[in-house]
Amino acid sequence: MISRWFSQVALVVSLEMRKTFFSRRGLWVYLLALAPVLIWFMHSMIELNLRKERQALNAAHPVSTALLRSIERGATIDEVVAKVGEPFTKNEFHRPNISVAVYQYTDGDNVFAFQFRDDKLMNINERDRDTIPKDSLIFASVFQFFYLRLAIFFGCVGVFTNLFRGEMLDKSLHFYLLTPIRREILAIGKYFAGLIATVVIFCTSTFLQLAALSLHFTGSEISEYLAGPGWGHVASYLGVTAAACVGYGSIFLAAGLLFKNPIVPAATVLVWEGMNMFLPAALKKVSVIFYLQSLSPVVAPPDAKMPALQKLLVTAAEPVPAAWALLGLLTLTIVVLAVAARKARKLEINYSTD
Amino acid sequence: MQDRIILDNVSRFYGEVLGVNRVSLSIPPGITSLVGPNGSGKTTLMNLITGLVRPTRGSIQVLGISPSDPEKLFRVCAYATQFDSYPRGMTGFQFVYSYLRLSGMSHDDCQRTTAFAIGRVNLGEAAHRKIAGYSKGMRQRIKLAQAIAHDPRVLVLDEPLNGLDPLVRAETIALFREFAAEGRHVIVSSHILHEVDTISDQVILLSNGYVVAEGKIHGVREEMSEHPMQVIIRCTRANVLASRVFEQDHVVEVRLHADGGGLLVKTRDADRFYKALNHLALDGVGIESVAPADDNVNSLYEYLIGGEESTR
Repeated sequence: MISRWFSQVALVVSLEMRKTFFSRRGLWVYLLALAPVLIWFMHSMIELNLRKERQALNAAHPVSTALLRSIERGATIDEVVAKVGEPFTKNEFHRPNISVAVYQYTDGDNVFAFQFRDDKLMNINERDRDTIPKDSLIFASVFQFFYLRLAIFFGCVGVFTNLFRGEMLDKSLHFYLLTPIRREILAIGKYFAGLIATVVIFCTSTFLQLAALSLHFTGSEISEYLAGPGWGHVASYLGVTAAACVGYGSIFLAAGLLFKNPIVPAATVLVWEGMNMFLPAALKKVSVIFYLQSLSPVVAPPDAKMPALQKLLVTAAEPVPAAWALLGLLTLTIVVLAVAARKARKLEINYSTD
Repeated sequence: MQDRIILDNVSRFYGEVLGVNRVSLSIPPGITSLVGPNGSGKTTLMNLITGLVRPTRGSIQVLGISPSDPEKLFRVCAYATQFDSYPRGMTGFQFVYSYLRLSGMSHDDCQRTTAFAIGRVNLGEAAHRKIAGYSKGMRQRIKLAQAIAHDPRVLVLDEPLNGLDPLVRAETIALFREFAAEGRHVIVSSHILHEVDTISDQVILLSNGYVVAEGKIHGVREEMSEHPMQVIIRCTRANVLASRVFEQDHVVEVRLHADGGGLLVKTRDADRFYKALNHLALDGVGIESVAPADDNVNSLYEYLIGGEESTR
């Protein structure tokens, strides 16, 4: 009996695979998954161009990092120029009672802006080039805010609600309902088909995002990162992506069975997930994002300079250990799938009202 | 009763709209036709029998199996619906094959059984073409192939003859007869009354969600005492025969044919009339043919359902 159920699940998965991957209704899911890859690719291209420009400027106005860092506040323009040479840009403003000048230098990587007021150096701004730790924090923010809460969320809405509702609209669901297969098995088979599709699409996107992000770093920087926490981060991000598909997939499979219009449950879940950080501890656990945040590999350090919103996004309010987070997520998923299977058991064909 | 389809006081409402109401049936094996105008509840009844919809009230058993247990039901039952949509991109062969695979058959058995079922509906040449490119008749046949593929004991077919050309229609009817002769159930819905008349062992007449009559056509017709049976007789001495049959107390009307070569008799008791006719024939009235004029589904439909919808 059990082995027959397993083989029926496998058959449903194989029959559904083409529909879930190549459904016309689901093309936008690919766009949603690829959008962040494009963003990170553009970011890397911009960073690469900036670096090339800085290196060209440094070649024209050669100066070392150590020399630039040796300049101290209070120096005059002439003293600075005598020490590090002419800047690559020079902006001067003269008013009747004050004169301001900004001299910019680069060591090829970083940009130093010296601000003079009445010929006295008042401020030094050092704009460092992007580093992997810096970008990994930005990636963590974008991953948790945009990717998990929006891209994967809506991608799962598109794929999983269509598994039953889409077939109702196509008037083809009776094909399955007239086979000697338990409806619960059908629901599970369809869930796994959706899960495989979303995991493949979104994990590929996650990997491509990380690859696109690394384009503007040097080979040695990447090797150093991978030798350290790098591979662990990659594996964790892929794992969290898959976990998001597991959790959101179950919710939207159930939504597709329980509601005719998936927009209403999707909006409700979106609001619920969004307000998770403000919920009491018991209610926090009835959400997917709570567990995903606990599983995320990069957590914001207690850095006073970090904007409050970013800190909120990359830090779980009350994180739980990874094992508990996984267990919690799986429990939530199983409960929701049980509800979906129960609904599938009582499913009726009534195409005319759909 | 394990060989019957039993509906016990079954009602189904779609919100406030009536699907079927208080239907109690015990359907024996053989070809059973569901007859009724559009919206009379034929498809709802088929959907109820196959578990695609559930009764609001009452219970259903198909050979002792509840339709709410599809895992057991569809091992003995098959349903070719009126829905003309199929999983996207499938060929006819894949359509039947995947159904059989889901039924638990091995790959080799599926291959062989699929080819056999498709051959039975004469669709072999088109088996590996996509269903989307099939004609209406071919789509009907592939649905039928899928329905018969796993050798079910109950075959439920919604308008199975629609879109079939005369030759295929005859072959399909022969297939139904073959199934019925093996003691299986073949439940068909149809608008084409003369075909229902030809193929059915029993009929269920539906109107506005109610069963208005059920049973063998002749039996149902006999029970309709408010409509005397009409018999057409062709004979040599029609006026003599007319006067003799009119002496029978159950004969209510006799009409001579314009050519004088026959008559139409209306009687309240067909059995007594046929017995009397035997005696008259022996008395030297040259009877050429005797045929019931309204002992068919068309007449039943007209009498019971009336002019709700014109028959084809």
